Amino acid sequence: MTGPLFLQGAFGYEISLVIALVIGFFFGFVLERAGFGDSRNLTSIFYFRDMRVLRVMFSALSTAMVGLILLSWIGLFDYSVLLEFSLLDTYLWPQVVGGILFGLGFVIGGYCPGTAAVGVVSGKLDSIVFLLGMIAGVWIFAYGFSFWGPFYKFSDLGRITLWQVFGTSKEAMAAIVVAMALIAFVLAWLGEKWHPYDK
Amino acid sequence: MKGGSLMKTPDYAQGFWNPYVAGVALGLVLLATFYLMGTGLGASGAVARTAAVVAHSVAPQAVETNGYFKEFYKPGGKHPFVNWMVVEVLGVFIGGLVAVITARRFRPGVGRGPHAGVVPRLVLAFLGGIIGGIGTRFAMGCTSGQALSGGATMAVGSWVFMMVVFATAFCAAYFVRREWS
Repeated sequence: MTGPLFLQGAFGYEISLVIALVIGFFFGFVLERAGFGDSRNLTSIFYFRDMRVLRVMFSALSTAMVGLILLSWIGLFDYSVLLEFSLLDTYLWPQVVGGILFGLGFVIGGYCPGTAAVGVVSGKLDSIVFLLGMIAGVWIFAYGFSFWGPFYKFSDLGRITLWQVFGTSKEAMAAIVVAMALIAFVLAWLGEKWHPYDK
Repeated sequence: MKGGSLMKTPDYAQGFWNPYVAGVALGLVLLATFYLMGTGLGASGAVARTAAVVAHSVAPQAVETNGYFKEFYKPGGKHPFVNWMVVEVLGVFIGGLVAVITARRFRPGVGRGPHAGVVPRLVLAFLGGIIGGIGTRFAMGCTSGQALSGGATMAVGSWVFMMVVFATAFCAAYFVRREWS
């Protein structure tokens, strides 16, 4: 059957929640097996001690990206449905500001939301405290929403992709991303040899 | 993966899958999600909904009229926890727990650098959570929803977010190096 199944009405909302539980199970399982349940393994990347975060993320992103294109080639995935209905909208400046805050939160707090969940079940107290901090952060965001609400939806560029921006095909863009990933893997290896903080 | 010729791999970094294998496995989970649902993975949305539900239990009116939280409490709408991403994150806890138990890796403690104190580390974990939590709301997602899922579909905002996150974190790392060293 041609995906994406849910968007094309192949099954209903209740079934989608069962799928959510199963997908989440595998997501959590793999995050743990990647070593992402411990804040030290997550922040090591920023000190060039262990670049596993870069390796896992870039290989996961590339696998899914190439996989979607291959599925669409053999007729198992309708990419146009994704582009029309579910590609994430770009809100340029809010996402820059959000990225700065999130980057600070990541290196100071030691986790991101999904990995903190795996930290909790690994017995890590710092991950529980991090999640409580996140909840407080959402309260602050909601409390001040009348102040920064207008900015929140500012610079809406809609559903726009890298290949549209660079005026190329999605296959060519994916090839560039994979090449970037391979270069990043070499740089990661060099960065670990350098490890400037431990000299 | 060793950090360098003079460094030994510490305990907490041992016994995991090869990162490329883990990455491909994670990518296949993400691919299955797109094939089935048309959307990717996520996490921070569940945290935002939890924040809304907790606040709602204390001050229902304030939450229902709040400019941001009211989208979770539409009149006649479902409870904020009856949501794809909330159920998915519930699955993350269960899957993570099964992975921890089967690897015999449940080790209570506080992840911190060898010279960092427990209390300062927990204070920074809370502070980082606050800053990151605000960040996820402006960015409308986190590492899973934006960087990974948006990244795999080559959404522009997701790539901007991912680049800014890592650029900021690499720069800020210098200032909190004692937390992790």
